[in-house]
Amino acid sequence: MDNPVETIGIASARIARLAAIRAMLCAVAPALTAIALGVLLEPIGDVTWTRLGYRLAPERAAWLSLALIGAGVAVLAAGLVMALRAYRRANDFVAAAAELDDRLECDQEIVTFATLADPSAPESIVARRTPLFPILWRHAIALFANLDIRREFRLEAGEPLKRSSIFAGVVALAMVLATLGLVRAPTPENTEAAKLRAIAEEIARTSASADDSALADKIRQAADALENFKLPPEEKKKRIEEAMRQADKAAQKRNNSQSGKNQAAGKSNAQNGNGNGKSQGQGNSAGAGSGEGNSATGAGQNPGGKSSASGKGASGKNSGKNEGGKGSAKNDKNDQNKGDQSSIELHNELAKAEAQVETANAKNPGPDNQPGNDKNQGGGSQPDANRPGSIAKPGANGDRNIPAAGGKPKNNKDMGSNLGDTHLGEMPTSTNAQRYLKPGEKGAALDIKDARYVMFRLPGAPSSGNGGKTVLDIDRPTATTGYVNAPLAPTSDDAPPDERQLVPPRYRDMIH
Amino acid sequence: MGAAPQQASPDQRVAEFRKIFSRAESEVARVIVGHREVVRKMLTALFCGGHILIEGVPGLGKTLMVKAASETLGLSFKRIQFTPDLMPSDIIGTQVLTEADGHREFQFKPGPIFAHMVLGDEINRATPKTQSAVLEAMEEHQVTVFGTTYVLDPPYIVLATENPIELEGTYPLPEAQMDRFIFKVVMGSPKPDELREILSRTTGTAQNRIQPLFEPSRAPRAIEDLKALVREVMVAEPLERFIISVIGGCTPGGPGAIPEVSQYLRFGPSPRGAQALILCAKVNALLAGRVSVSYDDIDDAIVPCLRHRLLLNFQAEAESVSSESILEQVTKRLRKPRT
Repeated sequence: MDNPVETIGIASARIARLAAIRAMLCAVAPALTAIALGVLLEPIGDVTWTRLGYRLAPERAAWLSLALIGAGVAVLAAGLVMALRAYRRANDFVAAAAELDDRLECDQEIVTFATLADPSAPESIVARRTPLFPILWRHAIALFANLDIRREFRLEAGEPLKRSSIFAGVVALAMVLATLGLVRAPTPENTEAAKLRAIAEEIARTSASADDSALADKIRQAADALENFKLPPEEKKKRIEEAMRQADKAAQKRNNSQSGKNQAAGKSNAQNGNGNGKSQGQGNSAGAGSGEGNSATGAGQNPGGKSSASGKGASGKNSGKNEGGKGSAKNDKNDQNKGDQSSIELHNELAKAEAQVETANAKNPGPDNQPGNDKNQGGGSQPDANRPGSIAKPGANGDRNIPAAGGKPKNNKDMGSNLGDTHLGEMPTSTNAQRYLKPGEKGAALDIKDARYVMFRLPGAPSSGNGGKTVLDIDRPTATTGYVNAPLAPTSDDAPPDERQLVPPRYRDMIH
Repeated sequence: MGAAPQQASPDQRVAEFRKIFSRAESEVARVIVGHREVVRKMLTALFCGGHILIEGVPGLGKTLMVKAASETLGLSFKRIQFTPDLMPSDIIGTQVLTEADGHREFQFKPGPIFAHMVLGDEINRATPKTQSAVLEAMEEHQVTVFGTTYVLDPPYIVLATENPIELEGTYPLPEAQMDRFIFKVVMGSPKPDELREILSRTTGTAQNRIQPLFEPSRAPRAIEDLKALVREVMVAEPLERFIISVIGGCTPGGPGAIPEVSQYLRFGPSPRGAQALILCAKVNALLAGRVSVSYDDIDDAIVPCLRHRLLLNFQAEAESVSSESILEQVTKRLRKPRT
């Protein structure tokens, strides 16, 4: 390029663009970090809830998330303003010449030339050109002869990104500190509400029927009410009972529809001559009172699922034509089991929630009944749901399998489910199981002072002495009263301390 | 002999300047051993149109150096030995009653100040009245005697010397008068090698003769053309700002003044200091073959141009803080970023 003025102009524009990009880069990382953290705050909260048992209060999390996103957007906007200002500041003819001077090491010849040749310079500056100015012009041309502006002025993003990453780290650190400051240990109500919400989500996800959607809504409302400390306990209970009624209604509907389906399937199989006994024998369990299943939701949605159906039809053979009917019946059975489980689980959780409300109401009457305001802390062996440390970790107690009321005890295969979570907090997992003493037997005193839970270990099936064949222990007496995860009420027991066990009377028949 | 620069192209004029300057240095170096920086500053002051104050003990060859320079450039030379009883009329001249053709009249008899190059030896030994007579001539390039003004022929340069060791009975130059010297250079003692060379040159039979660069008749014109060329050298606005920042940085309470300046200085440089910096930098640029001033040119000029313009306070003298060290601090602070 022969005109050095044009060269300096191009360099000036490029320097300005690079300055703007660098300024923007400084703001991009912290802005994106803040926005990403704001968007991901809820999933992160879910993960910490699942793994660590701590959560950010939803309303605070929402505010924090909003604040982070807002801050990110503000930083982006500030970055844009900074970029604009940097562009304007760097888009200077003489300054670009000075930059070129430094790069080319030409002893301020270019900046002097630019001062006198600046197209936007006033006449007074132009008048300062002397007869020596042509020499300066020629020198400038010679200096620019091998100049590649793109190569000379590269976008060196390392430094701004490094600076930006420091800012991003500061943002992340601030976010962590804010989260730590705002995080709190969940109350039992929070725990229960979270479980209810999870169930509601599951119901809403697996079913598209209007009833199930209404049920899910009711459950969510109950969960919200449970967490809302401003609501009076009566209102909370009312919401929970509504949800229970809705659940019962939905279960009833599913049972009815399931029995209708099974009957229809039986008819169809009978017409084909090779009736599928499985569907006939297993489908109408609710009516027959066999205890195998109360409801079946999501018929046909689990084609690959395996069920533990054991009944057989009269005609054991299944022709190829009837395989579909058989599979359908199997799936129905499977779904029925799932429906049973979820229904039981839902029922249990709602009952536990209700018990939570009752307990909280009994312990903290009055307007100060808020999470954490436990005035009865340390008041004896009464379980304290609000006491710090009584935090339930979701999923941590999934090794309990409690049958539904009136149902048969499940076999060991079902012990992995999370049904029958009969406690409010962490279940102690003692390696040395306590052994109950027989009447009259004296042993070491049971250290159950201040115990918050009592564990029952039910005797397992007796080992068979007859050819190694295992038989079910179906004759063993079982509890007939539905139980909930209510804290044990204090009992007046006149027994000596060694014998004193805070066991509700309804369970004492289970102790041998 | 030098070409007529005004008719030559700009490139030729620049080349001619460098050539003359270089040859002048070489010619002076024939008789003066070492002190190349002093010689360069003396010639720079000449081409800048300024005057120079040389500080050094007696016997270093100051007179010889000035004489050699005048001889090289073909300029007239006068020397004045300043003493306490020296009167202004002894320097600038006086009216003398003369008789011619039966008429008596006062005729002006020019003093030694009427020369192109004037060496004022030990200027601080004269009274302030006499000093001021010289200093008026330095600034105005003219003298006034009995109401009549006599213009001094250009080029005009005064080279004043000061003896730094014998201060008894002296009249140190006031700040206002010190400010009129474009440079103050310090002549140090010669190094052993230089002293040996001095001895071999001055105690033997060989005599080094100086080749004049210009004929005396056209030397003033040639020098004036070269002085004009110096003023054509261009200075970028950022460099002017840098010079202004240096001046401000050296002024107590001025913009950008460093703590040392406020602590040790009573007064800073005047605008003459900035003018001196630019002119000296321009000569440096020409000597480097450029027609524009660079930061290095300015850096080179800062100490000789400003050292005598900083008025140290009592604390600085008590702590032996020199103006050079303060200038060094200032330039170090202002060096980057310059634009």
